[in-house]
Amino acid sequence: MKRVAPAVLVIGLLLLVLYPLMASGYEIRFMLQLFMWVALAQSWNLISGLTGYVSFGHVAFFGTGAYAAAILVTSHGWHWAPASMMGGVAAVILALIIGYPCLRLKGPYFAIATLGLNEVVRALVSYFESVTGGGSGISLPPIAATGQIYYAMGLAALAVTAAAHLIITSRVGLRFMTIREDEIAAEAMGIDTARYKLYAFLLSAFIPGVVGGLFAQDTGYIEPISVFPLLTTITMIVMVLFGGKGTIWGPVLGAVTLFVLQEMVWVRFLYLHQILFGAIIVVVVLLMPKGILGMLQERYRLPRTI
Amino acid sequence: MDQGHILEIRDLTKRFGGVTAVNSCSLALAPRKIYGLIGPNGSGKTTLFNCITGLERRDDGEVYFKAERIDGLKPHQVARRGIGRTFQMIRVFPELSALENLLVVTAEPFEVAHRKALELLQFVTLDRLQKEYAGNLSYGQQKLLEFIRVLMTDPELILLDEPAAGVNRTLLNELLAAITNLRDQGKTILIIEHDMKVVMGLCDTVFVLDYGEKIAEGPPSVIQTNERVIEAYFGR
Repeated sequence: MKRVAPAVLVIGLLLLVLYPLMASGYEIRFMLQLFMWVALAQSWNLISGLTGYVSFGHVAFFGTGAYAAAILVTSHGWHWAPASMMGGVAAVILALIIGYPCLRLKGPYFAIATLGLNEVVRALVSYFESVTGGGSGISLPPIAATGQIYYAMGLAALAVTAAAHLIITSRVGLRFMTIREDEIAAEAMGIDTARYKLYAFLLSAFIPGVVGGLFAQDTGYIEPISVFPLLTTITMIVMVLFGGKGTIWGPVLGAVTLFVLQEMVWVRFLYLHQILFGAIIVVVVLLMPKGILGMLQERYRLPRTI
Repeated sequence: MDQGHILEIRDLTKRFGGVTAVNSCSLALAPRKIYGLIGPNGSGKTTLFNCITGLERRDDGEVYFKAERIDGLKPHQVARRGIGRTFQMIRVFPELSALENLLVVTAEPFEVAHRKALELLQFVTLDRLQKEYAGNLSYGQQKLLEFIRVLMTDPELILLDEPAAGVNRTLLNELLAAITNLRDQGKTILIIEHDMKVVMGLCDTVFVLDYGEKIAEGPPSVIQTNERVIEAYFGR
């Protein structure tokens, strides 16, 4: 198993690299979106799965990245790739500003604060029309870069998964988890929980910002309601809960399963996928609160580091 | 402050609303001794622990550790200076394994930490369960795990909040031997304990709290016959 897993991983990655050469435009876009969800779910897992601080405003980082990148591309003539990286930086700066006060809040209060934060950011974006175009949004110059954005999105998903692997298999990851397990005990044992929480929060904000920038270029048009929807945060949460929070591969499993399922249903019945998501939340919370991987870990005594 | 003391508390006061949990309390601990902290329920023992370790902010008074003021520091800063503690209600990290519970609290190189953790697990006969989630261990086992987790960070002063509660007789004797052994290695220990046999057998000096005030201090044999102590425990 220890030899097979890396081999499967390498072959899988190779196939994904070659994929655009054989796939149609629709199929490439499909995978591109799949990568996006893997990256978003994995990012949410870094703060909420590991430290237990449930962020209900994570789409704020996505939207901020989208706007930062779109403004750099349209007003300053940047290429979309560095602009998206700056989108990530903008998201981290936002996380720094709000993380400091919000991370002092516990449990549901943190969740509510982050939920409110997203509404505030969206309102601000709508308000500062001269920079953001307000309600009428920003159109990006159309370019034929779907193939390149496919790779960029893939890299983002890969990078955050690799980061999750590094963190979860190290003592830093364990320290993140002590915050989820018992913050007071962690403090009493000499762990600077405020600092570790902030690290986790900043880490979890970067990739959503980058991905937001890539999304802006890929769709060619953004407006406040398209890049700050609460549903995006909910989707990240459901994907992670479904796959297994706090694990390395749980968010990947959750994102892939639910995205594929959603696309299959959506193509046939326009609104059914929302009902499906609601049903999945109920089933997961009631029957397998630790998600698929969490359940397998318990039942088959697998190491946590999967 | 007196250089000879490892911990000195001066006129410490902590109020919760209208309740004065700790009332102008002063204690001083000399190094390499085992101190007992006793008193009826609600007499402020755990609150005093919380004020020393920074989990509660004192309203008044000063706390010195090795001649430096530590009141006002955050709990992790107090811990890093060399004060370790356990809790009355066990606080292990339930979804980390027993081994991980130990590894996570030190910054030592992994090999060193791992060796130390295994030794400690062996010492309390939990080495067989090192990969088990701490939350799946029995109450007594979790108590022991919490005790050795404190030892992982090698603190100079160890505060133990009812270490003997729920631990079986055989293991208890080993635990008491271990605490005595820690003192002989140069540590200072302050223990909250309700089991008088344990307190009398183990402690060099006992402090007695009642309604947040220190009402007596002295060797166990003297404390046992102190009238104010008997009054506090049994009423007049």
